[in-house]
Amino acid sequence: MPWSKRPVDISIQPGVASSVAASGAVSNEAGVIELQGVECSYPGSDSPVISDFNLLVKPGEFVSILGRSGAGKTTALRVVAGFEKVSSGYVRVGGQLVGSSFVHVPPDQRRIGLVFQDYALFPHLTVAKNVEFGLKGLPAEERRERIAPVLKMVGMSGYESRYVHELSGGQQQRVAIARALSPNPVALLLDEPFSNLDRQLRAGLRRDIKRIVQETGATTLLVTHDREEALATSDRIAVMGDNSIEQIGTPEEVYQSPVSAAVAKLIGPCELIPGVFRGGVIVTEAGVFPTRLTTDIHMADGQQTLALMRASELEIELADEDDQRTATIEMTEFEGEFTEYSIRLDSGTLLRVRRRAVDEIGVGGRVTVHTRGDSKVIVFPV
Amino acid sequence: MTISDDISSGWKSTDGKRPPVFLLASAAVVAIAALIPVAYLFARSINAGSDWIDIVWRPSTAAVFGRTFLLIAFVTVISVVVAVPLAWLTVRSNIPLRRVLSVASVLPLVMPSFVMATTVIEMYSPRGVLQGWLSGLGVERLPEIYGLGGATLVLVLMTYPYVLLTVRGALRRMDPALEEAARAMGYGPVHTFRVVTLPMLRPAIASGSLLVALYTLSDFGGVALLRYQTFTSTIMIQYESSIDRTLAAVLSLILVAIAVLLLLGEGFTRGRGAYHRSTVGAVRVSQRVDLGRWRWAGATAVGITVLIGLVIPVGVLIQWLVRGLLNDQELLPLLVPARNSLYISLLASVATVLAALPIAILVVRFQSRLSRFFERAIYIGFGLPGVVVALSLVFFGINVARPLYQSIWLLIFAFVVLFLPASVGALRSSLLQVNPRVEEAAQSLGRSQWKVIFSVTVPLVMPGALAGGAMVFLLTMKELPATLILSPIGYRTLSSSIWSAASEAFFAKTAAAALLLVLVAGVPTAYLTLRGHNDGSDQSDRIDEPDMESPSETVEVT
Repeated sequence: MPWSKRPVDISIQPGVASSVAASGAVSNEAGVIELQGVECSYPGSDSPVISDFNLLVKPGEFVSILGRSGAGKTTALRVVAGFEKVSSGYVRVGGQLVGSSFVHVPPDQRRIGLVFQDYALFPHLTVAKNVEFGLKGLPAEERRERIAPVLKMVGMSGYESRYVHELSGGQQQRVAIARALSPNPVALLLDEPFSNLDRQLRAGLRRDIKRIVQETGATTLLVTHDREEALATSDRIAVMGDNSIEQIGTPEEVYQSPVSAAVAKLIGPCELIPGVFRGGVIVTEAGVFPTRLTTDIHMADGQQTLALMRASELEIELADEDDQRTATIEMTEFEGEFTEYSIRLDSGTLLRVRRRAVDEIGVGGRVTVHTRGDSKVIVFPV
Repeated sequence: MTISDDISSGWKSTDGKRPPVFLLASAAVVAIAALIPVAYLFARSINAGSDWIDIVWRPSTAAVFGRTFLLIAFVTVISVVVAVPLAWLTVRSNIPLRRVLSVASVLPLVMPSFVMATTVIEMYSPRGVLQGWLSGLGVERLPEIYGLGGATLVLVLMTYPYVLLTVRGALRRMDPALEEAARAMGYGPVHTFRVVTLPMLRPAIASGSLLVALYTLSDFGGVALLRYQTFTSTIMIQYESSIDRTLAAVLSLILVAIAVLLLLGEGFTRGRGAYHRSTVGAVRVSQRVDLGRWRWAGATAVGITVLIGLVIPVGVLIQWLVRGLLNDQELLPLLVPARNSLYISLLASVATVLAALPIAILVVRFQSRLSRFFERAIYIGFGLPGVVVALSLVFFGINVARPLYQSIWLLIFAFVVLFLPASVGALRSSLLQVNPRVEEAAQSLGRSQWKVIFSVTVPLVMPGALAGGAMVFLLTMKELPATLILSPIGYRTLSSSIWSAASEAFFAKTAAAALLLVLVAGVPTAYLTLRGHNDGSDQSDRIDEPDMESPSETVEVT
């Protein structure tokens, strides 16, 4: 039986995890999407694209996988959708085992709504027919009844009889989302959904998607290399290193307490400078800063470490004659509310500091670097 | 839920996807069917025992061999010499009426060789129309038309469009930056053409030449009317005149060997250089060269070719028809042959496209050793002359598939084997443009792989299917040897009824039927040509005349 035939509830009820509740397959405690120790590799290559990959997406949750290109994010998504087979580990969708070394449920039986990076709309069908595509098996009348609210939800009412090539990129994106949502999937997967759109369009569409997802209560997994996207949309972010997840948590958690230098670099612009750990502070070329640890690794006195320097957590002051650790202001960029200072340390390392330009520190000035207020510098073992 | 197993790893495609069983099964059936004629021919020839060697080493065999090669060499060289300048003029220069001439210069393609031959004899023989015009100018007598000269003329007129189309495609796809780089380094325009453009055109010229050579090798009607005996016509005579068909079978195998040699020769000319663009990104279109005062000369050169290849032959046919109607002469009956031709051609088109579909999908979407084997198996038809396939199917029909013998289904089968490569080529280029993500999207929306093929893939490759079908339709309409050998007794098509009248020198009688044939065959040709010329559409940049580009994508055996 095509999964679209099952009882569905596309009516817009804020906050209700309709799909899972309707399918009745799992209790709310279990994950809608669950990957356990998953390994996936392409034939003819020895190294797996993803390995020991663990992820649990709860009902109604919006989770983003953030990683640089080539990390295996899209592969993880395709594993969930059923387009890649796993060589070990377990994949569960809606509480059902759909993928392991001995089980592979084909994509058409997984009830997953997938939005592709290039949308992959059917060029030979109209907007309405695209959205209707996943509703096969329902009576014609019911199909028609369900298209209208979905199109309305994505703001594409009135475009029913257009063909795909007659739509802008943003409109195609909306239709792709409508098409994925219309059969009321167990979960919605979004593969770099904004990468093909220009910048101005992105923010608006991002908010729209968040609203749509909240309205339908759909469990959503988004894959992106854009940290802004991940931070702005997600309930939780899973940061991917090379082929597995390094940290998972709320955007605030991950941003405030990255567990590794790699995660820190992915989650926000920063500089990592070497230093020596000494009794709760770190001694670096730029200055001596109070520290904080984000993992429970023991840090010994005199240990070589890396200090995470973020522009918004740093402050500068004009240096006195007798200051030892100073730097030179190389460039200032006025950004309206803030000014960004590029500061060259004597070793040649460049730091950035973001502050209100209240005093007259200009290019060429010698400054000392401090942490802002009582913020502490995160340190990682080398 | 399926249990995954890796037992059949040879079936697995290189990106790990396994094709659905129904796709593999249908492709396997098609591939095996395509191999039947050659396999059967081998079996039959082996039975001939030691006669085999006698036949091959007979002096008369050597003579036929020599004549065939001489004709192939003449036709190929002259076609290239005619077609390359024509391609350049119609693509890269600013001659007047460029678009019209560009389509018209391809249209001689629609003339069946036996029709072209009758008009050439009427026009250029020592007692022909041209002689009548020239005698006023003091020309006593034109050289004899029968023999090598006439056969070459007929075949060049019919086959130069193959080179024209492949070279044109290459000229359109060529990155203009290459020529510009040469110009910037101080090479003049002529020098640039010689050291950059021409070498880049070499693969296109080679594959066009291959088509010309294979066509020449397999042509029957044209050479027979011009009384030039080649391998193909020898086999036909043998087949028609003797009870023992072993000789025909052995000669057919030699013909296959020659075809294979030609195919290998084409691969050899490619050498080791890379001819594709080394960069990605959109291709700029080359600027057309301003010929200045010479552009009228250019247009005239193209115009004369069109005149000789298209206008005069059609003119001769019209003149015969008008004269016949005015004098109330007997004309061939039209209705039944036309209906039969249409019926057979439509059946062959549909059957061939249907057979091509699983192969094309497998080759494009699930690349594996197995799919490459299937692809090669069906390309056998590309090198096989129609007469060989037909003969082998006669043996096959008599000995194995008796119920099919003397039915049109064996004929349809022959056409499918012969023209499968053409439609696989068209489908493949169409399929390559379909984003595989679209198919995945359909699958994630709950359709099985099987249903995805019918609800998404097939509608999206419709343009390719139509182009492939049109190609097969055209080829079937014109085909002669297979039609003659395999048609049920008394079953007349346009080509076979024209042939029987023409072979008894009743040329004028054929006028109406021949015109009809040219007209009907002209429709799909015009469709294919215009499709390639539709510069505005987003497809044309990527698939210029996809059905003619390379030998692996096309076929023409009549």
